[in-house]
Amino acid sequence: MLSFKNYSLYNFQNIEWIGFENFKAIFSDPFYINTIWNTLKWVLFSVFFQLILGFILALLMREPFKGRGIYAGLVFYPWAISGFAIGLIWSWLLNGQFGVINDILIKIGIIEENISFLSDPSLAMFSVILVNVWYGIPFFAIMILAALQSVPDSLYDAAEIDGAGYFTKLFNITIPYIKPTLINTILLRTIWVMNFPDIIYGMTRGGPAGSTEILAVKMINTVFYESNYSKAATHGVVIISILFIYTIMYLKLTSKREFSL
Amino acid sequence: MKKLLVLICVLMVSLFIFSEEVITLNLIEAFSSPYRTPTLNNIIQMFETLNPGVKINVISPPYETAYQKINLMVSTEQPLDIVEIGDWDLSALAAMGKLEDLTPYIESWPEKNDMVEGVLEAASIYQGRPYLLPHGVFVKALFYRPDILAKYGIESYPKTMTELYEISKKLTESGKNQYGFAFRGKGYPTAFIDIVLTSFFDDIDPNNMYLTKSGEIIFEDPRAIEALNFYVSLYKDTAPKDSINWGWDEQVNSFVSGITPLLFQDPDTTGMLNEMLQPGQYKTSPLPLGTSGKVYPSFGFVGWGIPTYSEHKDLAWKFIKFVASAEINGYWSKSYGALPVLQSVYTYDSYFSSDLFEGWTKMFDDPEHYQFTEYPLDNENWGKWNEFQEKTMQQVLLGKLSVENCLKQWTDFWKDAGIN
Repeated sequence: MLSFKNYSLYNFQNIEWIGFENFKAIFSDPFYINTIWNTLKWVLFSVFFQLILGFILALLMREPFKGRGIYAGLVFYPWAISGFAIGLIWSWLLNGQFGVINDILIKIGIIEENISFLSDPSLAMFSVILVNVWYGIPFFAIMILAALQSVPDSLYDAAEIDGAGYFTKLFNITIPYIKPTLINTILLRTIWVMNFPDIIYGMTRGGPAGSTEILAVKMINTVFYESNYSKAATHGVVIISILFIYTIMYLKLTSKREFSL
Repeated sequence: MKKLLVLICVLMVSLFIFSEEVITLNLIEAFSSPYRTPTLNNIIQMFETLNPGVKINVISPPYETAYQKINLMVSTEQPLDIVEIGDWDLSALAAMGKLEDLTPYIESWPEKNDMVEGVLEAASIYQGRPYLLPHGVFVKALFYRPDILAKYGIESYPKTMTELYEISKKLTESGKNQYGFAFRGKGYPTAFIDIVLTSFFDDIDPNNMYLTKSGEIIFEDPRAIEALNFYVSLYKDTAPKDSINWGWDEQVNSFVSGITPLLFQDPDTTGMLNEMLQPGQYKTSPLPLGTSGKVYPSFGFVGWGIPTYSEHKDLAWKFIKFVASAEINGYWSKSYGALPVLQSVYTYDSYFSSDLFEGWTKMFDDPEHYQFTEYPLDNENWGKWNEFQEKTMQQVLLGKLSVENCLKQWTDFWKDAGIN
């Protein structure tokens, strides 16, 4: 409803229905296509690498070893920290002038000059995605590890008797067995990542020149800079619409194949 | 048991008879911080001691959401008696019609004539009426590091924009991680761009920084092209490439570490610098003059207002007046880092007439070269402008947008906003 009104910091008194004016305004913004494209890159690469690396981590954590509890605690720790704080910490680590990462890379001889991780538009998106991947791995690992522990050992024993190798067991037993968990986790994570401006806001606020601006960051910037709550709500409607279409398509595609062993 | 009951009754009656009615004033602050809020609480404690029967309840929302909370509370008439208002929020709040016009109070205030010239006028941006009494003023000055400049044989601070560029260029040795100018790329870089840009003009409207005295938008003037090209060269030739992504934290950090020993900043930076640098390691000077021989700083301010629906307006004013008194204003400004609003504080407290404040005192004493102007804060596109200017400026710095196209976009923006 808010997206069809003119509710802003400058207009608390005469709030009126203004039809599709807010939608017209945001879609006529020349930066908007770029923002949507950034959002797609942000979600796709973040979720993909979080899934792959989270899966590998879960497989490693599945086998018992000494100190596994402590190790698991350390690995999952980032997940417990606020995303905004993570963004601020990494913005200093990756700082192009006095960042620790640049310092280490120079000292071990990998680079000769500082890299402008967050001020070079061609590197800024890569940098924020990298941090988001690091941040999101534990979530996938926790979910997948829980699912892995429910796979009966007898299935692996039977496969081994039949002469199955590691990858045969992985693709024919493990993945099919935990498929429902994977489907749900990917769906949830996609929705969360799309609505997750914290890291980008802490690191770049969407800059430089809009190169890391995703829809959720745009929404925050609209509130903090413009103080236009209706327009911010319009960005929210766009996000919800994209996620709605995605969810329908995703569930249709994934529900076609029957889960069987 | 009977004795005990009688005793309790006597105590209750005594309490009822002898207790005074306590009036509670609700105060909301907009700029809460671990440094500032304790100072405010100390001042409140002093006020409460001097005024028995008055209690002040402080509401300290997080800084990031304070404006939204204040506006919501005022618009829905939630119990508030004293509201802290920043310059960028004043018009929005005043336009609601829920802020008391403080003219009658200020007129009868003996210290009115002691106010720093221009402060009250700057605070009257909405319909020419003061809806707040400023308790702190912010004006940008040039901060410099004499120790770093001396290493390069530079004995004095830059007095003009050309000198600023030349000295910054001389300092810049990227291989040694040494640069000149602490550039501001993100997080409201508006004032930094505009100080440089308007210094190429000699006819800026004192009531609107984006207009010339003849009512033209400055961005469509040929002098703006020269000015913006100069600003771009300041970034490309004298500042770290990374500074396109620098906000206040990075700017100050870089100044403290000596990487960029020339910095434009507000007086509240002195609080942090005093803690991080030794005395004499940094000084302030007036903003460098532009090619026009002038520079156009603006007054940023923050102050206290009274909601129209407050039931204790006179008491609220008593507190506001107390905070603005010379002694308290000096204590407040020193702790907070803002410039005092009363002239007498500058002589009353030697801290404000020390070398550290040379930049501001020189600017205040020379109205011919340092001509104060105002931002169009009452225009409802102001908030949008900050984001738009930041983004387009970054595009220019990255070479994705030409200076001419950028200025055209800025001109169109303000034409659409109906500035002239």
